[in-house]
Amino acid sequence: MNGGHNPSEERLLAYAAGTLSPPEAVVVAAHLAMRPANDAWVRRLQAVGGRLLDDLEPEPLADDALARVLARAEVDAGEVLASTPLNDMAGLPEPLRRYALGPWRWLGPGMRARDVHAPRDGDCRVILLEIGPGRDTPRHTHGGVELTCVIHGAYATETARFDVGDFEEADAEVLHQPRVVSPEACLCVVALDGQIELDGWLGKLIQPFVRL
Amino acid sequence: MRRDREAFARLFEHFAPRLKAYLMKAGAPAGAAEDFAQDAMLTVWRKAELFDSTKAHAATWIFTIARNRRLDVLRQDARRTPMPHLELVQDEPEQPDQVFLASEDAARLKSAMERLTKDQMEVLRLAFFQDNPHSEIARRLDLPLGTVKSRIRKAMIKLRTLLEDDEGGQS
Repeated sequence: MNGGHNPSEERLLAYAAGTLSPPEAVVVAAHLAMRPANDAWVRRLQAVGGRLLDDLEPEPLADDALARVLARAEVDAGEVLASTPLNDMAGLPEPLRRYALGPWRWLGPGMRARDVHAPRDGDCRVILLEIGPGRDTPRHTHGGVELTCVIHGAYATETARFDVGDFEEADAEVLHQPRVVSPEACLCVVALDGQIELDGWLGKLIQPFVRL
Repeated sequence: MRRDREAFARLFEHFAPRLKAYLMKAGAPAGAAEDFAQDAMLTVWRKAELFDSTKAHAATWIFTIARNRRLDVLRQDARRTPMPHLELVQDEPEQPDQVFLASEDAARLKSAMERLTKDQMEVLRLAFFQDNPHSEIARRLDLPLGTVKSRIRKAMIKLRTLLEDDEGGQS
């Protein structure tokens, strides 16, 4: 394993298997783009998937299945697969550049967010969150799992520091207050499930205005 | 560009029925699984010029195409909400020149997988094939969720040890 904070073994496996929800997969994909060792491991797991596929008991297809596929191939012969246009943030890891982005929304002093228009999964969605140097985020808990990957800068929680490429997984039990510790702003991609619940009287006061 | 129908037919004969089985294992009805297999093989044909046809590569490559599509198909049926193509998110090694595994790696992978315990192989297979794998595995094997997760973790760590150890401490 490489150093730093990584997704769990189960999460990397689920990513390789294609069973992660799309918002979670987006954050893992961003992480893999910045962590070649984990990326290589996921490729290996895909080879494991290939072997398992190869070992499956075949289910017979319709007699004309091959003919139908070839007929469809004739019809669209030469079709060029359109490449997805890239969004306006050139500094993002490649997997994130393929999504349209919403406008920046002001969330508080030194703090803003924009939606990443990746497919949602129920309540779970993806945002980019940017927090200025030295800023605390409001102390909060989560309605569900929160996955974070650092794209620029660094933040620290009460117990750990997260640098570029690092991956953090916080579940509903975690109450935390990340603080930006880099001299520049910290930009993260976050998959959020459920609403963030702000802690303390100030949090309760601004909660209605801060819908991430 | 010239595409080889005969080579494609051989690939189709081998993999299309397995792709159908793959989606049925995730709970899709036979008709949807048949469409899925045909669609995936059409993608294989379209990208065939990129394809180097050693079998180890083919299995990984075709699995990746299938894996990129599965959520699309499974979730769409379940929720009737349109989902953009997962290829947008997860299209790593569809291009065979990027596929990590060389043929000597395939042999090593095979022997590593043979050294997993029966229990570990079982969770691995379920993790690859089920939708909502963790809770589904727990239900099927009648195990607590925590046990399933730790079994998966152990299987992964063992695979890593077997596959990464003989790379001269790389990674």
